[in-house]
Formats: sequence, C-alpha cells, structure tokens
Amino acid sequence: MYKYKRKLFTFIMALASVAAIAIPLKAEATETENTKGTPENPYFITTDVTYTPFEFQNADGEYVGIDIDIIKAIAEDQGFEIELRPLNFSAGLQALETNQVDGMIAAMSITPEREESFDFSDPYFEAGTVMAVSEVNSEINSYDDLEGKTVAVKVGTTGANFVNELQKEYNIEVNQFDDSATMYEDVIAGHSDAVFDDYPVMAYAVQQGLNLKFPLEPESGDVYGFAVNKDQNPELLEMFNEGLANIQENGTYDDIIDTYLSEDAEPAAGNGIFGLLAANWKDLASGLGSTLVLTLISFAIALVLGTVLGLFSASPNKVMNVISSIYLTIMRGIPLIVLAFFIYFSVPQLFNIQMSAFIAGVTTLTLNTAAYISEQVRGGILAVAKGQLEAGRSLGLSYNTSMRKIILPQAIKIMIPSLINQFVITLKDTSILSVIGIVELTQTGRIIIARTYSSGSMWLIVGVIYIIIITILTWLSSALERRLTND
Amino acid sequence: MTKLKVEHLKKNFGDLEVLKDLNLEVQEGEVICIIGPSGSGKSTFLRCMNHLEEITGGKVIVDNYDLTDPSQDINKVRENIGMVFQHFNLFPHLTVIENIMLAPKELKDETNDEIKARALKLLETVGLEEKADDYPKSLSGGQKQRVAIARALAMQPDIMLFDEPTSALDPEMVGDVLEVMQRLAQQGMTMLVVTHEMGFAKEVADRVIFMDGGYIVEEGPPEEVFNNPQNKRTKDFLDKVLI
Repeated sequence: MYKYKRKLFTFIMALASVAAIAIPLKAEATETENTKGTPENPYFITTDVTYTPFEFQNADGEYVGIDIDIIKAIAEDQGFEIELRPLNFSAGLQALETNQVDGMIAAMSITPEREESFDFSDPYFEAGTVMAVSEVNSEINSYDDLEGKTVAVKVGTTGANFVNELQKEYNIEVNQFDDSATMYEDVIAGHSDAVFDDYPVMAYAVQQGLNLKFPLEPESGDVYGFAVNKDQNPELLEMFNEGLANIQENGTYDDIIDTYLSEDAEPAAGNGIFGLLAANWKDLASGLGSTLVLTLISFAIALVLGTVLGLFSASPNKVMNVISSIYLTIMRGIPLIVLAFFIYFSVPQLFNIQMSAFIAGVTTLTLNTAAYISEQVRGGILAVAKGQLEAGRSLGLSYNTSMRKIILPQAIKIMIPSLINQFVITLKDTSILSVIGIVELTQTGRIIIARTYSSGSMWLIVGVIYIIIITILTWLSSALERRLTND
Repeated sequence: MTKLKVEHLKKNFGDLEVLKDLNLEVQEGEVICIIGPSGSGKSTFLRCMNHLEEITGGKVIVDNYDLTDPSQDINKVRENIGMVFQHFNLFPHLTVIENIMLAPKELKDETNDEIKARALKLLETVGLEEKADDYPKSLSGGQKQRVAIARALAMQPDIMLFDEPTSALDPEMVGDVLEVMQRLAQQGMTMLVVTHEMGFAKEVADRVIFMDGGYIVEEGPPEEVFNNPQNKRTKDFLDKVLI
C-alpha cells in the first residue's frame, strides 16, 4: 500500500510540475507584442468551428472552407503568418472584443451594431438570410405562415436579427443555437418549424443531402467582412483589403468560391454508423484523447489543491476554515460554463494576459473539481475516528504529522469511492469546455456533424464512447480500490 | 520529587462545569488510581494532564513544564507522558510493530534498528512478540490493549496515563492487561489510572482518589479509602461497586 501511495504521489507531483512549467512559458510567449504576423508571433484569427462551407474540418481534421481559404490566400499574398483559433460564433465575438484574438473571419455580416464594436474590411462575400423549412413541410410558404410557429436561429447572427424584426409583426417563438448543424437538425427533427441562416451555408448543406427546402428567395443585401477589434491592428485590416483585391484580380478568389459552391462539389460520405466510424475514427480518437488528457491533468492538480483545501476545512484553525469555505461557496455557486467563460474571457482582460483555451479549460476544471474533492477530503478526515488523532497527539506527534501519518492514510481509503465518482463527473464535465473551443470528444462530434449532417448516428456514437471509456475507468479504479484496501 | 502538580484546575464544556477546582500533587514512582461514578469528571481530569482537553482555569505542571502556558511546546511535554485509551486507538493501517515504531521514528534521535530492537523488546514484555507483523484487526481486545501500552512505552515516558484501560475488554482479557500494568508499577513508573477495577486499585495503588461531581471528594491510601471511607458519597459508591 505504501508503494502505491508513493507512486501516485510522484505521478501527481510530476503532472503538477509540468503544469507549473507550462503556464509561465505561455505567459512569456505573449510578451513580445511588437512584431505581429511573423512565424514566431502570428496573428490569431478566430473563426466559427462549424459553419460549412465557410469553415469546417475536412475528413483529415484540417480547417477548410471559403473563409479559411480566403484568409490563407490573403496571408500568403501579403506575407504574414496566421494561427487559427476556432470558437463558436458568439464566443469568437467575445474573444475579439477582449483582444484574445487579432481578427475574426466567420461569415460575419457587416451591420451598423457590429461596426460600433469592430472595424470591418471591405466586403468579401455577398449573401442574404433565407428561410428554410423541412422538405416535407408544405404549410409554411411565406413569413405570414410563421404566426404561432417556432423558429430556430443561431445566437448573434444576422438571421437571428432578422427573426427579431419579424417578431415585431408575428407571434414567433425562437429556439437559439450555437452551431448550424444542430439548428438544422432541430428543424428536420420537427422541434422547430423553420430556420433562418445565410443562404450559401444552407444551400451547401442541402446540396450535401440535408432535407431542407427554401420556400422563399433569400433576402438581399448582406455582406460579409473580416473584423478586427475597434482601433486595433489597423495594419492587418489594410493588408486584408489589399490582399483581397489581389486575389479577386488573379482569380484565386473565384477558384475558392467554386470549390465550395459549384454544382459539382463533392457530396459527403455515407451516414451509416459504421460508415461514420470508418470515416471519422481518427478524429474521434483524438477527441477522446483530449478528453482524457484534460481530465487526467485537471483531476491530478485538483487532487493536490482539493486535499490542501480539505485539510484547511478540517483543521482547528479558524482562518483556514474560512479560506476553504469561501472557496467552496464561490466554486459551488458558479456554473461550470460561466466559470469557463470567465477564465477564458474575463481573466485575460482583467490581468492583461493571453491564455490558450487548453490552459483555460484545465484551470476551469481544476478549480471546480478541487472544490468537490475538498469536501470529500474533509468528509474522509472526519470519518476517521477522533481517537486516532488523540492517540497520535498523545504520543507527542504534531497535528501535521498525525494528519500525514495517521489520519490521511485512513481517510484516503474512505474517500476512494467518492473520488472515483468525482473522476467520472470531471470526465463528463470536459464536454462543457467545447464552448471555449477545445476540441474534445463532444466538440469532435459536433464538428463531424457539421461536415456530415448526421446528428442521429453521431450522438449515438459519441454517447457510446463515453459509456465505454467511463466503464473501463471505473473498473480500473475499483481494482485499485481493492488493492489499496486489501493489505 | 514532584512529578506532576495540579493547582485549582477548572474545566468547562460550554456552560457545563465538569471540573471544579481540583488540586493534586504526584510524586515520582507513585501509582494513583482515580475512581468514581460515571460523569464524575475522572476521564476529563486525566485528559487535562496531557492537554488533550483545553484547560479552562488553573495550572497543570508536569516535570516543571507548565501545560497552561501558551508558549509551552505541548508536543515536547507529551513525549514524556504516555497515554492508554479505553478503546485502544491502535492505527488500523499499520502493523503492530509499525504502530509501536511510528512515534519514535518521527521524534527520537535514534536509528531505525535501535527503535526496532526496543519495540520488539516491549512486545516481548507484553507477551506479543509473535504478533509483530500482524495488523490490529487480527488481535483480540486484550492483545490490542497490550500493544497500545507497548506503543506508549516506546516513547520512554516518565508518566503513564490510563483511561479505563480494561473497560472495553471481555472479562477473561482483563487479567493480562492488569498484570502488565502491575509490572510497570513495580518497575517504578509514575502512573495515573482511571479505573473500575477495585481489586487492582486496592493492590497496586499508592493512593486512591475518589471523584464525584467534578470534585475530588476523598483521597488517601487504598486501605483507608476502601476500608474506612470518611465521606458519605464515597461510602455509597463503594457499597454499590463492592458487593
């Protein structure tokens, strides 16, 4: 038993020190702000994660699409370097606003409201919002028919604003979504009656086999622009405009548009469960990999932090009790998703640092998990008979030594089942981190669906993967528990 | 030589006064048995001797160290005061020998071999040398209590406190434990024993203290207290326990 403890401890310390080294490095890298656009210090460009055909991951896991190809062509033409930071559309807007990224290209319509917060490039694409309904729907043929119906929109988009206007005239209920594929599926599944989105996006999806149709012509007038934060990176905007003019002149632009929107664009692969697995197993495996890495690192650090806080709350020292209880109150009071947004968007702004989504994700999970572990540690310590501490103290051992040598070894055994439970919860909670753009298993599922429009089979596959992996981990933990308690 | 001195000791649990103005002086090598009805404060009194209970008022001086002085390193004083509990409080995650060696390994300036040799010798004195590598859960109550005595003695204390050491034992186990305690007394250990074993008190104690209601009601040599109690409450109590 001693050996196992020692190994576990070494493992935790190793992980903690890796994290400790990695975090300051990250901070250092952002200090040299002066020469942006070099390979060492590229412009960070955010884009939507799932907005085919403007941005999506192809079967090789690379980001492609009209937006991606355009920004890459312009970067090449103008000789600057970029690094993509894909985020959900609304999260991308926040990232740009808080200077987490330098620019955003995400099929973003240029609107007067947005121009108050951002500076836009020359328009690079013209598209209109269009209404789509399920192929089998024959009821809705005009906006008038939307009276009393439910409409799906994507948060923060022009389509959503358009529906807002429609709501002034009609009684419409609105379902809000964060990515297009889910929104379309909602209409096909019959939860919503109609959907409003940019015409080229839906046209591409329909061409790929999505069962939607357009009862009306697209609204006209919307143009897409590349955005930078107000008064930030003016040189980037200038280069974008120059590069755009160049690629429009030399034909690169037309080639890009043709690749995605011409009639003979390649249709998506078969959508059966096994077809999906065969085509996407690499993505799923790497998504699962990130889920496990996130869980293991966060849980390991949380175990150290949680133990310290648990000791604080079980200690006779009032100050330590208060520290620990304040921490617990805060962490229990914040939903994980809010904590993730706070750490990814607010903290960098408040302290003027840049933070990768991975570091923000690990921090979020660690802080949250540590709160719950501290409660389990406290419970474990209190569950050890009071006489054990008295016996240790009566021999002349200090409080700390008694804790370390007598109470904690016994408390750990008591805590193991609830720690295993917490581990499973943490693993499942990683899925929430998809909101800040971390491509773990759930986000991988979304990305594949954005490319294949197969939410039915895909969520089944993702769900089964979670069940399998959690079952395996639970078995392993129970085996460990047996070994620890059987000496 | 005075080993332990208690002056005007008071102990409250919240509003409840458990100990009310106790005074006691114990000489080196003296064996004192504390008897009295349950709830009389015997165990609390004993637990104040090594500061397991916060002391509300008065003074406890052990080996010239004032336990009530906040600047006093209490751990240092406790190294010299062994304690044996009613429910043994052995460490279940450690073997018998590890239980005995834990505190000396942490606190004594000795090699592992020296500590182990002493631990084995102590186990031999309590008649359990063959149990060295067993875990406490495989021992009987009497064996556990003898290990607990060995564990306390491994720190080489000058004073031993026994808090109802045989109360949790099956009757056939009591003898072995009392025998170990008696031998310890004969070797000159200063001992304070809270007990219901009147036979042991009569035979081994140099002085018997009768406590009731948070006061020391009567004290004296065992033959006086047992055969000729002065106080009515002592008499009533003895009438009940000595049938």
